[in-house]
Amino acid sequence: MDLSRISETLISGKADELKKMVEEAVNDDVNPSDILNQGLLPGMDAVGQKWKAGDMFMPEVLRCAKAMSSAMDYLRPKLKDDDIGNAGTMVIGTVAGDLHDIGKDLVAMMFEGAGYKVINLGIDQSNENFINAVKEHKPKLLGMSALLTTTMPRMGEVINSLKEAGIRDQVTVIIGGAPVTDDFAKEIGADLYGPNAGTAVGIAREYFQKK
Amino acid sequence: MKINQIVNKSIRFRVLSEDQIEQIYFASLEVLEKTGGMVYHDEAIELFKNSNAVVRGYNVRIPSYMVQEAINFYPRKITLCGRNKSRSLHIQKDTVAFGTGSDLPFTYDRETGERRITTYKDVNNAAKLVDALPNYDFFMSHGIVNDAPNTQTYDRHQFMAMLDQCTKPMVLTSVDGESLRDLWKMGCLVQGGEEEFRLNPLFVVYIEPISPLKNDSTAIEKLLFAAEKKIPAMYTPCPSSGATAPATIAGMLVQSLTETLMAVVLCHLKNPGKPLIMGGVTTLLDMKKSTYSYGAPELSLSSAANTDISKWLNLPMFSTGGCTDSKILDEQAAAEQMMNLFYAYLSGANLVHDVGYIDHGTNASLESLVLNDEMIGMVKQFGKGINTDDDHLALELIEKVGPGGEYFTTDHTYKYWREWFMPQLQDRSDYETWKNSGAKTMLDRVKERTRQLLDSHKPEPLDEKLEKELKKIIKDADERHS
Repeated sequence: MDLSRISETLISGKADELKKMVEEAVNDDVNPSDILNQGLLPGMDAVGQKWKAGDMFMPEVLRCAKAMSSAMDYLRPKLKDDDIGNAGTMVIGTVAGDLHDIGKDLVAMMFEGAGYKVINLGIDQSNENFINAVKEHKPKLLGMSALLTTTMPRMGEVINSLKEAGIRDQVTVIIGGAPVTDDFAKEIGADLYGPNAGTAVGIAREYFQKK
Repeated sequence: MKINQIVNKSIRFRVLSEDQIEQIYFASLEVLEKTGGMVYHDEAIELFKNSNAVVRGYNVRIPSYMVQEAINFYPRKITLCGRNKSRSLHIQKDTVAFGTGSDLPFTYDRETGERRITTYKDVNNAAKLVDALPNYDFFMSHGIVNDAPNTQTYDRHQFMAMLDQCTKPMVLTSVDGESLRDLWKMGCLVQGGEEEFRLNPLFVVYIEPISPLKNDSTAIEKLLFAAEKKIPAMYTPCPSSGATAPATIAGMLVQSLTETLMAVVLCHLKNPGKPLIMGGVTTLLDMKKSTYSYGAPELSLSSAANTDISKWLNLPMFSTGGCTDSKILDEQAAAEQMMNLFYAYLSGANLVHDVGYIDHGTNASLESLVLNDEMIGMVKQFGKGINTDDDHLALELIEKVGPGGEYFTTDHTYKYWREWFMPQLQDRSDYETWKNSGAKTMLDRVKERTRQLLDSHKPEPLDEKLEKELKKIIKDADERHS
């Protein structure tokens, strides 16, 4: 099977068609790792590049992300741990006291689109919930967001709790939200700052490549 | 099915009520009968003498029934056709087209940041930009060709500079009747002969009276030649309120309309049915600086009112927008240009000219043309109004997404977000992204885009044989005037 066809279908954002193709490939005994690395990931890379160049827009990118995510749901159990490569698990949530979720959900969708398994905790999450989720899922990335200046400090508190629990160095912390700045991220000891949903994936990828 | 529905397919805007328009029209008829105007042209005086007009020396007074009769003969639709053979510009009620102004003596030099004399090359560059930028529908020269061999023939060279790089329809200025004949001959060559030009005119001729109520011989010469050949023309009073017109907008509109109606009657006497567009750069004379203002809100208000009058008269309208008094492209420029673009568009004026003018109609700026292209896009988006059909009301969708859901990934969003305005120059990024990509100002982006368009845009070239024939007309004119 020509795996570039999977890339093309992914770029066109056709979720049903993509899933069918991935299923067919698996049934034809194509190595799941090849489906991911030669079909899906190159497709999402192309989407990312088109997005960066301004040739694709949010609704199109998210359609692709959705298609990728549903294909990955099917493929993930068939992959070995090493196959997942750059992508991994992400835990994401909005901090306690904050009920805003569209920005955070958008980031979640973008990471799903990049092949991540995303555990979306939801809104108004206590420090404890974040810590428990990190312990349980052992994610590569922890994402937190706040839209209100009054809830921003909660993100620093979660990072402190990670330290207290002795698991700070097991996870990379990325934060975002309208009032959040790069300086604030450094101040509270986060690893990464995403100024907007569209660039977060790229920032994380670059960080892990350098690491 | 619903009954008794009225839907606004676009924004609706008008300044004057029908009663107010009639007040202005009747006042204008009164001026024509009582005061009349001066017409310094012998053939025109003869035409008036042989009619029911009353002529005393060069003063002509016109009975109202002559106006009434003449006005009914004018076409309500004029279609212009660029040299690319596209009949792209339909001048008809409530269809708005945007274009540049013409003949600016100075140019704001992008490289040096200084003001200098405009040249052939500047007009050539403006032509290229207008050809490239999607929101310009017609081209006036923007600058004036100061480096022509002779001031009496500059307009032929200017037309060449325009034609060379721009395939869109045009509005032309001309020195006098003789030069208009040359321009018309050139236009006929481009369109494939006199008959083809008649059906597919490449340009409209810009002509103006001298306010208050004076018509000089060259203006009339051009008007009569245009009437003879049925070349579309506009007769555009440029009154300055408080100086060459009453300080009240109503008074200025009465006088401006009187000047227009004199041309309406004269062209009718010469050759009934000639395509004529009414106009008016109706604005004020600034009482502090003694300048003719291109950025005053009164320009927008009186121009929109003038457009209301034009629609009532069933004459197409040549209006004004996208211009400023500011000496450079700055905050004042953007504020003034946006305002007069906006109201010119909403008024439904057919040809909105002077887009890009800075320094109250003396200074040309290529960057200003680029900035205004973006602003026209914004204005047009507003004018689209709001569709309220079932699919746009989105009831099913709202139910499906539900409280706390998201619309990003729905098919409905995928289908409709493209109805939005897509900015090319406006920056909507977050602070960090903006800062990390060079913290560029609007002017930085405008400059970049200007440079990029000038470097990359390649207009469809002129046919070589045609170019030779056009240059022959110019050469002959230069020889006649040497």
